[in-house]
Amino acid sequence: MSDLLKGNFTTKKQVTKPNETKDSDTLESTFKKAALNSIGGSMVYVERTDLTWDGED
Amino acid sequence: MAKILFINPVVREEDVPRHIPYGIALLAAIAMKEGHLVQIYDANAHRLPLETIIEVCQADEWDAICIGGLTTTYNYIKKSCKLIKESAPNAQLIAGGGFLTSMPHEIFEWIPEIDVGCIGESFVTFPEVLKKIDNKDFNYSDVLGVIHRDLTGKSFLTNIRPNIKDLDTLPWPAWHLFPLDIYFANSSNLFSEESFTSKRRMDINGSFGCGLTCKYCWHLGTTGDMLVEENDNGENDVVFTYGRNIRYHSADYIVSMVKHLYEEYNIDFAAFIDENLMTMDVASKGTWLKELCKKWIEAGLQPTCRQQGIPHDENCKGVHWNGTSHAGLHRPETLKLMYEAGCTHLVYGLESFDPTVLRNLGKGSNARKNKQSIATCLASGIKPIPNIIIGFPEESFESVRNTIEALVELGITAKPHFATAYPGSEWYYAYKDSIMEQYDQDLEAYIMDLGDASKITATISHEFSPMQLLGLQQIVYLKDLRLLDLSEQHWAPVQEKLAPVIQPKMSFNLKTVKEAGPLAS
Repeated sequence: MSDLLKGNFTTKKQVTKPNETKDSDTLESTFKKAALNSIGGSMVYVERTDLTWDGED
Repeated sequence: MAKILFINPVVREEDVPRHIPYGIALLAAIAMKEGHLVQIYDANAHRLPLETIIEVCQADEWDAICIGGLTTTYNYIKKSCKLIKESAPNAQLIAGGGFLTSMPHEIFEWIPEIDVGCIGESFVTFPEVLKKIDNKDFNYSDVLGVIHRDLTGKSFLTNIRPNIKDLDTLPWPAWHLFPLDIYFANSSNLFSEESFTSKRRMDINGSFGCGLTCKYCWHLGTTGDMLVEENDNGENDVVFTYGRNIRYHSADYIVSMVKHLYEEYNIDFAAFIDENLMTMDVASKGTWLKELCKKWIEAGLQPTCRQQGIPHDENCKGVHWNGTSHAGLHRPETLKLMYEAGCTHLVYGLESFDPTVLRNLGKGSNARKNKQSIATCLASGIKPIPNIIIGFPEESFESVRNTIEALVELGITAKPHFATAYPGSEWYYAYKDSIMEQYDQDLEAYIMDLGDASKITATISHEFSPMQLLGLQQIVYLKDLRLLDLSEQHWAPVQEKLAPVIQPKMSFNLKTVKEAGPLAS
């Protein structure tokens, strides 16, 4: 937890940096970023997690 | 004294934060020197959800909240201003920087939450605005260099603020108010071995503006390149010119600043963010960089690898540095001194190797000088970083061929930028109508789409469509003249029968004359 604000006085309320997001979220977003940066040839990335037609439309 | 919150907007979201915002850091230092209470929220460094701004704005009772940056920060700034005004309605929202200066009236229309904006150089304007706010006087009409509103929201631009004469009167930026650990973690870059191994890089700025008149460039209204004149409706608007007030810090100012950074923050690399070191050196009649290098060494900043003539490694002490150069203006003897003082790489905006493109660009270079510059720079020991662009207005198969042949000859691999008309540049005003057509008359959509010119936004090439330019970029990257020949065989006969994709026009906002803005006495 660190203060997000830096200055020459103390603010009335402290604004702290939130804890890191869950490991699974971090891994997912990290993987997505790495994958998208490597696109080319057989390196492709599918962004959707579900494209199944549920038959209602 | 006013309570001021600075917000550094997110920029180049696809990359990690690499640069402490020099302008905000300077203005924060100036505000503190004037006795104001200052806090900084560096959104670009922290990369937290946008809504964090609400909590930041509610952390205190701010008198002023300040936000600004280049045009490429527009998306973030627009979204932020809405949240800022909702969560801190009593604070005056001040904007500044390139995104506003290049098109002040449009920005005031698109972001109605902004109360007042500093246009061009803000070193004197900003403290005057703060003084007004401190006195609860929100009538900004008598402050030079601002855009403000009346009660109906209509925007008004006051007359131009003269540039300050002596840059050395500026305080050092307030680096200590930024999360340096984040920036240090991203110190490394791939321009040279020394910058690749850097663990504590910081930016410094030795000068403002550039003497050249490249049509893709502009100078933020900070270098004598801007006037304020009445338009056809009798309203003040910005006009950009070829006028220049060339200003640079003394070698003593720069060296003492770097010495401080070395001793206080243990930096191992100083990146000059100047537009072009060589144009400043020419303005000094070739004395500025020589003096800078001499004093850099005398101050003990010379890296030990250069001092001892040994390869750079992790045991090296001292401060390496880099900057920007010019193919027609660099001098071998100066480059040699720069290498000895620790310069590792210089960015050269070569842009093209085609005579027609270069002649029309306003860069003051030609194909021969561009080719020679690589050898001259390499001979000094400094790595040249040549930037290449495709999609110039007069780009043709022949011009692309000239560039590829030079890249092959010089052993350069480059994936070119696309010629992009950023607001404020000569290209922008010449092609504004065409740009609007390409964005369905929605200029704001174009501004929101602008990035670092690595993707196509609006094309300004008279002949080539986006499809062709994407293909040509890949062909330049591959340096494949066979593919270029095949493409030309296929397209050239058709292209002869087509009308130009776009055409340039004149604009009130650009005067191609050497008429400089005022300089304070």
